[in-house]
Amino acid sequence: MDLLLILLTVFPLVSALPLMLPIKAFDSRKTVWSYALLSTLVSLLFSLIVLYKFDFTNTGAMQLATSLSWVDAFGLNFGFGIDSISLWLVLLTTFLMPIIILSSLTAIKTRVREFYFWLIVLETFMIGTFVATDILFFYVCFELTLVPLYILIGVFGSDKRKRVEAAKIFFLYTFTGSMLTFAGVMYVAWFNTMLPTHLFAAAGTWSFDIQTLYLAAANMSLTEQSWVLGALLAGFAVKVPLFPVHTWLPLAHTEAPTAGSVILAGVLLKLGTYGLLRFALPMCPQAVVEYAWLIGIFAVLGVLVTALICWVQTDVKKLIAYSSVSHLGFCVLGLFALDADNTGAVGAVMYMINHGLSTGALFLCIGMIYERFHTREMADMSGLGRAIPAWASFTVFFVLASVGLPGLNGFIGEFLTLLGAFLSPANVLGYEYAAIAGLGMILAAIYLLYMVGKIIFGPLKVPDVHNDDGTHDLKDLNTREIATLLPLAAACLILGMLPNGMLNSLQAPVEQLTYSAKAVATQANDTFVTDANATPLRLAIDDHTPEFAPGIAPQLTDPTHAPLTKTAHRAAER
Amino acid sequence: MPIELIKLIPWIPLLGAVLCAVCCMKPAWRKAAGPISVLSIFIPFLITCGVYSAASGLQGDDKVQTIYQWMSVGGFSVNMGYFIDPLTMIMLFVVTGIGSLIATYAMGYMKGERGYARFFMGVSLFIFAMTTLVMADNLVLLYLGWEGVGLCSYLLIGYYYEKPEAVAAAKKAFIVNRIGDLGFALGIFLTYMTYDTVSLSVVTSKAVAFLSDPNYIATSADLWIPFLLMLGAFGKSAQIPLYVWLPDAMAGPTPVSALVHAATMVTAGVYMIARLIPVFQLSPYALPTVATIGGITALFAGTIALCQYDLKKVFAYSTVSQLGYMFLGVGALSSFGGIFHLFTHAFFKALLFLTAGSVMHALAGQLDLRAMSGLRKKMPVTCWLMFAGCLALAGFPFTAGFFSKDTILAEAMVRGTGEHGSNLYFFLALMGLLTALLTAFYTFRLWFRVFMGPEHFEMGDDHGHSDDDAHGDDHSHAHEPHEMPWWPMNIPLVVLAFGAIFAGMIVHWTGWMEHSIETSTAQPAIALNIQTDPQPTPAYEIITVSNTTDTHDTATEHPAAATGHSAEHDRAHGIHILMMWISSFIALLGIGLAAYFHWLNRPLTDKVAAKFGMVVEVLYNKYYIDEFYDLVIVKPLRTLGHGFYRFDQAVIHGLVITVGYIPRLAGWSIQPTQSGKMQGYGLGMVLGVAIAALLVFKWAF
Repeated sequence: MDLLLILLTVFPLVSALPLMLPIKAFDSRKTVWSYALLSTLVSLLFSLIVLYKFDFTNTGAMQLATSLSWVDAFGLNFGFGIDSISLWLVLLTTFLMPIIILSSLTAIKTRVREFYFWLIVLETFMIGTFVATDILFFYVCFELTLVPLYILIGVFGSDKRKRVEAAKIFFLYTFTGSMLTFAGVMYVAWFNTMLPTHLFAAAGTWSFDIQTLYLAAANMSLTEQSWVLGALLAGFAVKVPLFPVHTWLPLAHTEAPTAGSVILAGVLLKLGTYGLLRFALPMCPQAVVEYAWLIGIFAVLGVLVTALICWVQTDVKKLIAYSSVSHLGFCVLGLFALDADNTGAVGAVMYMINHGLSTGALFLCIGMIYERFHTREMADMSGLGRAIPAWASFTVFFVLASVGLPGLNGFIGEFLTLLGAFLSPANVLGYEYAAIAGLGMILAAIYLLYMVGKIIFGPLKVPDVHNDDGTHDLKDLNTREIATLLPLAAACLILGMLPNGMLNSLQAPVEQLTYSAKAVATQANDTFVTDANATPLRLAIDDHTPEFAPGIAPQLTDPTHAPLTKTAHRAAER
Repeated sequence: MPIELIKLIPWIPLLGAVLCAVCCMKPAWRKAAGPISVLSIFIPFLITCGVYSAASGLQGDDKVQTIYQWMSVGGFSVNMGYFIDPLTMIMLFVVTGIGSLIATYAMGYMKGERGYARFFMGVSLFIFAMTTLVMADNLVLLYLGWEGVGLCSYLLIGYYYEKPEAVAAAKKAFIVNRIGDLGFALGIFLTYMTYDTVSLSVVTSKAVAFLSDPNYIATSADLWIPFLLMLGAFGKSAQIPLYVWLPDAMAGPTPVSALVHAATMVTAGVYMIARLIPVFQLSPYALPTVATIGGITALFAGTIALCQYDLKKVFAYSTVSQLGYMFLGVGALSSFGGIFHLFTHAFFKALLFLTAGSVMHALAGQLDLRAMSGLRKKMPVTCWLMFAGCLALAGFPFTAGFFSKDTILAEAMVRGTGEHGSNLYFFLALMGLLTALLTAFYTFRLWFRVFMGPEHFEMGDDHGHSDDDAHGDDHSHAHEPHEMPWWPMNIPLVVLAFGAIFAGMIVHWTGWMEHSIETSTAQPAIALNIQTDPQPTPAYEIITVSNTTDTHDTATEHPAAATGHSAEHDRAHGIHILMMWISSFIALLGIGLAAYFHWLNRPLTDKVAAKFGMVVEVLYNKYYIDEFYDLVIVKPLRTLGHGFYRFDQAVIHGLVITVGYIPRLAGWSIQPTQSGKMQGYGLGMVLGVAIAALLVFKWAF
């Protein structure tokens, strides 16, 4: 039993507790801040140890796996395990946390203890969602991320009147969606209990182990899969957010404190795409192939419509918030591309990481401006390049990463997702999707350069905050602020120039998750050609015949997919 | 010099850019940026010279020099690798050689500027991207360079970022280029889909194999790839309909206009098409389209240049026009002609821009032709340097531009006449000749206006050099034009002038470049319309399949082909000689007309211009193309954005909020005492889940 992942997950929660105890030392803002920074740095260290221990020759397997029983009778466990997809997302989280805390020193001056408490608690839940191998454990963490962010927005937001409303909409919107997801998950678990026990190890019993549920879900009919897909999408699409269920995001972003925005854009949105990849693709392969065109259309619409919306924003933060919606459209497009080499899905995981870094950094940059001028209206400022050159250089750099300039990180994800969509089989997506979504590349350049042109270039104009011609606020970045942005800039550059390590490590796990959907896509293509009426893939639940072998789960016998089976056996042994 | 050094070429300027960025940080360090940048471009030039013979002799797989694998997913693999063939070497000479000269000039030109270090950072970064572009072994790396030069162009056009027009121009350049880049990216996707690789060497050799296979039937991908890539080329090289950004790009500092917007970056499109010419040949419509667009752009931009008063704008439209020639060249299957003109154009257009920069510098930012006259006494060196450049641009006999332009026009004429001649190329050649006349006229219009006639000048209002330490003690410069110092400004120009006059002769008489192109992938794999084989097999004939054995071997092996060859060769030779005579005459005619109208008899010119007021107005306003684009594309998109935003706020979000109220109302009706929103929503959710679950069950069973 390997305790490392448990430690990694629980440590932030435990370390946050003292902040709420009546400890005198924590009355000082600086002490609380240092303590929080230290805590997140220790978490980063733990995640680096995980990285060190991670076996990169077998990236697809759930490594460092361990499990604590929760409710035995119900097959409930706290299952921990990490494959390379989870690993990189956990690293993204632990990497962003110290940066966020570093940036919050001067931004948060009241109720400091609570602020850092909730921030660190949030880290536990975020890591929890990524390392969970038990679907209910995942779901609990997924839902619990809402609580700290609700408080961060509602209490520490920028505008007293609007922030409560924004927090409420954020909470209820995402919560409603994920309730449906919960229904879908429960259905799959229940479905598993109804299966004949001889099918696979944990069939016919209550289990929430993800790998078991994959096997169970493979036996669902297309109709059932479609409903489960719909239920999963209800939660995950809102989280991503996919057009047209995105309207909570600009609201939440504009009102959230900088730290909240960075976490939201950097990690929390990825829970949606992560969920789609981890659950929707392997559990509902037939439905995914059946409805990919529809999801693709919404993704493309999202890319284009929100990009145009970005262009007419006057509030910088809202512009970046809408750009997140536009960017994640590419990511979803890549996830559902299902091309033979997984170019799209691997690109989509890259996109998650890269978007977290560059958009997170842009929110930090905007936060620094807001701290100085207490405004984010583009009309109020102009030509800041002359006044605060270091800030301007960083912002331009991250804008370029966000635009997808080759050599920086954004390009890798964008290029691969579009290539994946282009190569996607005609019955899934197709080149039209890539060609139309590609227009988003042009629009991204238009709205981001529009922003740069408005606030960084042009004649110098500084908002007059203290009635002293603005000179009071004209301080360029201090060392702490540079230390906040520099690691992000370095990460953007490194991932842009040397993405191959990450790309290679992602291929095995992504292949496992997309395998069945891809098999359905090719098979459906063939079936369509040979016999339009053949429905060999659809198996009814009451069809209790010996041929009830999982028709579209070749992982069971395919030796190249051993890790999946192995984990399934492991689950059974327990 | 070991060939491995060639791998360093892009990285030295990158290092230079990083050092310049460090220099930005402290005002005291700024001065170091210029020399660092010049060195970081000049060392690659020395390496290029040093490895030239070794690099030209590379065979087969040795031509690909890989550093590391950049990205790979499944079968899709992209290396950080360079493809070294003679074409690469020609391009490297242009980029690093002309680049060093321009950077040296810029050390003087930009002296005392506040953004001195920032400027040189941009220049070094540009050379990194440009060398990567010309050396890339695969399309994705080429795309990196391609977008990289676009970025540097953006940063350098926006150098004077406090001027709104510079910011607008920078943005316009980047966005218009992105439109082309989307086409390029889709072209890469389709290339990968078709060829299963993005490696240039493999793609071109496969395309050559397809072309030489008489049974090969072109697929729709073969037809589409060139058109998608072409879009990228037209964006980068400012051709119709994407040329609009280049004239505006003159808002950048003049050395940038010379380096980025005349000598190097804008020729990337020509390079790309030349490099991939076998792929373009696979589509029967691709190269004629390239030639047509090139020919039309050449003439179109030439007419606009006639009526511009801004010194740099004249040269900008002239660049668009000359790029049109290059496309006409590659479109006429003469990648030699296209690259030759690219090479000579780099010399004389850089020279023209830099001398224009000197004039502008001397007149404190004055660029209006109407505000200057007879400056030859004040600036004698600049005057005669620009004269050399003007001769070359006008195609005066035996200057560089004469030979290269003649090659293109003659090749187009060869395609347009004879047994299998196509009328299209014949007309394009005639258009090219007409453009040559316009070119000679507008070039010397400018020169006679600036340097001849009565002395008269109005100083500009650019006092950007107020913190200029070089001229700090010399206050007269603000009132009187003065000659530029020899070092670092005029000496590089002398080198360029030498190139502008003699580069053509050297290339023409040594045959060095022609041979280089023949041994590179830019060599057209087939000679269209030359059907010499008596057998009724392919309509195409292979000349060279990217190896060093040239036509002579083929000739000895196929006597029948050889006779056809020599007949064809004689005809082509005759056309070349004829075109030389015609274009010499045209150049002299253009210069003569310009001398009459803009030097000897200026009042008559004004009368003529007044008579054709409408035409002049339309030309002066560049056919109102910018206004047209604004009305048809920009404004509607922006309106659409506003519309979408309102829709998003009112309808989509409104709908969600309304739906959110339903459970609340339901909650009230059931339990009127509890009116908390939370409970309402919670109830709604439970209900929703129950209904959803019921539906699922109902459907499933």
